[in-house]
Amino acid sequence: MNFVTLAIKNLLRRRGRTILTIMGVAIAIAVLFSLLSFNSGYEKQLSGELDSLGIHMLAVPKGCPYEAASLIIHGGVIPKYLSDSDVEEVKKIDGIEVASPMLLQQFYKDGQPHVVYGVMMDDVSRLKPWWKVEGRFFSDTEDNVMVIGRNLAEKEKLKVGDVLPFGPDGIPFTIVGILERTDTQDDDFHFLPLPVAQKMFGKPDQITTIAIKINDISRISEISKQLENIPDIQVVTMAQVMGTIMNLVGSARTLITSVIIVAIIISAVGIINTLLMSVNERTREFGMMKAIGASGLDIGRLVLIETLFITVIGGIIGLLLAMLGSSLIEAFVKGIIPYSPAGRLMAPEPGLVGLCLLFSVVIGFVCGIYPAIRSSRLTPMEAIRSNLE
Amino acid sequence: MKEEVISVKGLTKIYHRGSEEIHALKEVSFAIMKGEFAAIVGPSGSGKTTLLNLLGCLDTPTRGSLRLNGIEVNGLKERDLVKLRRENIGFVFQQFFLLPTLTVRENIELPLLFSRKNGYASQIDEVIGLVGLKARAEHLPGQLSGGEMQRVAIGRALINEPKIILADEPTGNLDSATSLRIFELFQNLNRQGLTLIVVTHNLELAKIAHNVIQLRDGEIARKTSSHGSSKKARS
Repeated sequence: MNFVTLAIKNLLRRRGRTILTIMGVAIAIAVLFSLLSFNSGYEKQLSGELDSLGIHMLAVPKGCPYEAASLIIHGGVIPKYLSDSDVEEVKKIDGIEVASPMLLQQFYKDGQPHVVYGVMMDDVSRLKPWWKVEGRFFSDTEDNVMVIGRNLAEKEKLKVGDVLPFGPDGIPFTIVGILERTDTQDDDFHFLPLPVAQKMFGKPDQITTIAIKINDISRISEISKQLENIPDIQVVTMAQVMGTIMNLVGSARTLITSVIIVAIIISAVGIINTLLMSVNERTREFGMMKAIGASGLDIGRLVLIETLFITVIGGIIGLLLAMLGSSLIEAFVKGIIPYSPAGRLMAPEPGLVGLCLLFSVVIGFVCGIYPAIRSSRLTPMEAIRSNLE
Repeated sequence: MKEEVISVKGLTKIYHRGSEEIHALKEVSFAIMKGEFAAIVGPSGSGKTTLLNLLGCLDTPTRGSLRLNGIEVNGLKERDLVKLRRENIGFVFQQFFLLPTLTVRENIELPLLFSRKNGYASQIDEVIGLVGLKARAEHLPGQLSGGEMQRVAIGRALINEPKIILADEPTGNLDSATSLRIFELFQNLNRQGLTLIVVTHNLELAKIAHNVIQLRDGEIARKTSSHGSSKKARS
């Protein structure tokens, strides 16, 4: 027999209470792990999503707030427009590699929003050379054809060659291509030739944004200034988009962090309370142990091992719960933050698992130290004479 | 000449309850020889358990001297008291204080854990045999009778090979037939050379002791030896 065996047997004496305390720790660790995974996953996913755009900056209509500009990349629709002539002005500036006009529109079918991107496919192919398609891409002069994202195809059970009534007027469109999965927002969009989209939504010569890729990233500031000289245009760089989105979700993240801190404090108080109750109930037993040769340190160690058992097992269960329930937690978090990139937001990295387990050990020490000191300081006489009042 | 294992001189214990002083023991002096079987008797509140706890280094005296195997206990640090208890004393309590989730074997083994002694399996078997619980070694305390539980407690007190066994009302919770078997066990242990000091109300148990220390109001009222000599303490 050793101290660990003795601690386990002691915990098994009060199974119900032990299980409840372990669950308290598990919930706190699950929430903590989810937050950390979310924090690390969100930034990574957002940065990946912005990279996947293949652009360095967006030209948007003047007066368009940064927040709205940031939402454009996620299929948001803004009520202001640039014109086709602005594209020509942009293309004249030295250092611009690609300037791709885009019209973003939404329509509702069966109560579901459908995001439509009117694009010049030649430009987009240069912005996103990694795009692969089942079927083919359309040319910019074709009518009533579209390419759709993989999620959309799977959700609506669509195949290459399908013809379906599309848009607010239900005009028949042929699906000429389905994108291979990109794990970005592109998986959920419809892509149409720009002139077709402009005609369908009654926006002739109008575009929402110009996606710009430049030759030399070090010239981004200089080129931005030149672009801003065009009367209708305001420039938003991807770094600004990233910063804006992080600000947008900042308050939601603060709220979530506060909830987690409260959850951890409640859990810690619960553990301390349980341990103190357990220590008080066993005062006479500790007295007996001292009488048969235990030192104060032995008693303190026993209490501490019991606490660590509770918190480490709670930590492991919490991690498993968080991993198993990550899609539920993710859906909940996506529901309360104002902007969420496509794909998995939770990134359960091995480092985070280690960190959470370490944290559960720290909770164990913090919560166990007071009951351990209290029990170790009892004199055998006090302990043996104490009543179970 | 027999060796003195316990020497008590002018031992006094005063408890405080609010502003009130309770003199639990007043200037008690006596000696216990190696291999002696001593009983401490007296009415409730006479100071028996206080004396036993002082002898077992579970409590510290207010005044006076207590020497255990020649070592002055008064003034020792907690660490030294723990060592002294581990090496010299085995305790038996009226309420047994067995851990309910440990088997008979594990309860008896418990002091070895605190003494950091490993590999004592044969010694544990020997002690289980000595207290007559071979068939019950893997049972939990809840599956034992009161007498068997007290045997486990006695086994636990013996496992560290103490020089002295201190027992506080060891038959207080047992019926007379079971008490008799515990007396026999104590007698056997004493015959093997173990020093026994037993606090008891049980006159039958006191009768088998070599010496009886009778306490009243914290003082020794009478010391009786089995040789028939009786000495009334100075009042």
